[in-house]
Amino acid sequence: MWYQKRSANPERDRTQCAIMIVQTGRREPRMPQWRPSLAKIPAAILRYGLAVLSVAIALGVALLLANYDVRRVDFPLFLFAIAITSWYAGTGPAVVAVVVSGLVVDYYFSEPVHSFYITSSELPRWISFILFASLLTWFSSVRRRAERDLLQSRNELEKEVVVRTQQASLLNLTHDTIFVRDMNHVITYWNRGAQELYGWTAEQAIGKHSRELLHTVFPVPIEEVQAELLSTGRWEGELEKTKADGTRVVVASRWSLQRNEKGSPIAILETNNDITERKRGEEEVRKLNQELGNRTIELEAINKELEAFAYSISHDLRAPLRHMVGFTELLQKNASSIVDEKGRHYIMTILESAKRMGILIDDLLAFSRIGRAETRETMVSLEQLVKEVQSEVWQETEGRNITWIVGPLPDLYGDRSMLKLALVNLISNAIKFTRQRSQAEIEIGCAEKPKDGVVVFIKDNGVGFDMKYVNKLFGVFQRLHRTEEFEGTGIGLATVQRIIRRHGGQVWAEGSVGKGATFYLALPK
Amino acid sequence: MATVGRILLVEDDPRDTELTMTALEEYNLSNEVVVAADGAEALDYLFCRGKFQRRTGENPAVMLLDLKLPKVDGLEVLAQIRSNDNLKMIPVVVLTSSREERDMVASYKLGVNAYVVKPVDFHEFVNAIKELGVFWAIINEPPPGSIRKK
Repeated sequence: MWYQKRSANPERDRTQCAIMIVQTGRREPRMPQWRPSLAKIPAAILRYGLAVLSVAIALGVALLLANYDVRRVDFPLFLFAIAITSWYAGTGPAVVAVVVSGLVVDYYFSEPVHSFYITSSELPRWISFILFASLLTWFSSVRRRAERDLLQSRNELEKEVVVRTQQASLLNLTHDTIFVRDMNHVITYWNRGAQELYGWTAEQAIGKHSRELLHTVFPVPIEEVQAELLSTGRWEGELEKTKADGTRVVVASRWSLQRNEKGSPIAILETNNDITERKRGEEEVRKLNQELGNRTIELEAINKELEAFAYSISHDLRAPLRHMVGFTELLQKNASSIVDEKGRHYIMTILESAKRMGILIDDLLAFSRIGRAETRETMVSLEQLVKEVQSEVWQETEGRNITWIVGPLPDLYGDRSMLKLALVNLISNAIKFTRQRSQAEIEIGCAEKPKDGVVVFIKDNGVGFDMKYVNKLFGVFQRLHRTEEFEGTGIGLATVQRIIRRHGGQVWAEGSVGKGATFYLALPK
Repeated sequence: MATVGRILLVEDDPRDTELTMTALEEYNLSNEVVVAADGAEALDYLFCRGKFQRRTGENPAVMLLDLKLPKVDGLEVLAQIRSNDNLKMIPVVVLTSSREERDMVASYKLGVNAYVVKPVDFHEFVNAIKELGVFWAIINEPPPGSIRKK
């Protein structure tokens, strides 16, 4: 445990300051629980008993020696008894021992013996005994008090060490990075979380200048950070630091300032959370958003360009076409008499091609408009819409024998004119591709009802198509029939697909050559 | 014979002008047609300036206006006419190739009297021009101060 190893280190005071921050408010005043180590005599009686006993033993020994005519040993014996008493039993019993010894010496060993009366010649000896005994007692008590204080403070210190060691190891339990530095930014505490994050051990980090060790980069001038810390006692922000292996980390950092009793700042506790990954994620999101923004701007520009393109097609391509048709018509009208059959055929071909071109342009424009125009969604009755389309395409059915089977159709939410355009294309196709049937059959119905949408189908018994070309069916300018067989621009089904997709739906087809085709529209309700 | 109002045809494409004139000729309306080849010339005519500074100040009975024009485009011409007290009453028919909705909306917002998309089909085109000519130059009573010939 680093704390214990370092306890003799001069850094220790700082470390303790640091830990104090953590335990602020949690320390309770500790009652001195010290008991003298040799106070095996807990009660006063025992202590005073010792005084009496030691004096009695001294008296016994002195009297015994007196019997053997050994004199003048009473002083050292009693002083020894007083010394023992004052040493082991404290000042009070020592005073008692001094008083009792004084009386006993007076009674047994001072002339006249066996009387408390004392001759003037014996008085100086007796007084010197009392003084000597008192001095001994006093010295002893002073010595004892010093020892007791020493013991007490050692005990307190030991307890403190235990508590702080526990706290320090608690801080070490956390994976959060915690370290403490003094006001000169010298690191004084470094927990396990700090070691895990930065790769420096406590031994390596403590005593180092924190900004130099970690190459801290501040988002604002350090003076501002210091000013805020000193005025509010705390600071929070994101810092960039460097690990022992040289990699950079971004941390969310919180600083707390500790002040001493006088109010002057003494230490800074800093906790760090590694937010490098989060920052990287944020940065990525920001980059992606920016890319998305750029892409949107690009798309908008492309869309504008497309619109301008469509506009110029609409205006500029139509004009020469009109002139071609116009002047050819004038030619046909004014010069028909001088043009032979072949010439008239050429004129007809020019006119037909020009008209076809006109239709192509119109279809293409309609197709591009679907992508550009905003949808205006309302509740649309498909049944009503089919009826309208049927009446619109009646010209195409003239002279034809067509059996219509129109089942009940749902209402749905969508752009009416777009949906109508889709139906016009599909129904016109059905009419067109059943042309060769003497008995054409066109069925429009609702195939199934998925939970949140409808599937409508348009089925015919026309020429159908080969399923291996099904992918080409909905492409722009993709045609599965030659123009002589069936006229068309190859834009109709592409338009249908675009409309249905803009409604969030899907379109697909099934068919076989000679047996007809079925087109399905799946639309959200 | 009925009176024939003057037609101001603003058209930059000589082929379109020729086809239009051909159509108008059939009803003998072509004599009263003045052609301006771009927007600036049309405004010169209306404001009697430039090469038209000597003409009498009466307004045409109708103006057939193309939208896509060199120098000053049709919508700009229309805007200037509608903001001028002497000119604002001139009936204006936009005659254009553009089927674009925004052109149509912009024209009507500027108070156009009719919006006609030139048909690609020649017969339809001729019919459209003829009907326009007959209606605006003969049937319609133009606002006072318009040029009309017996």
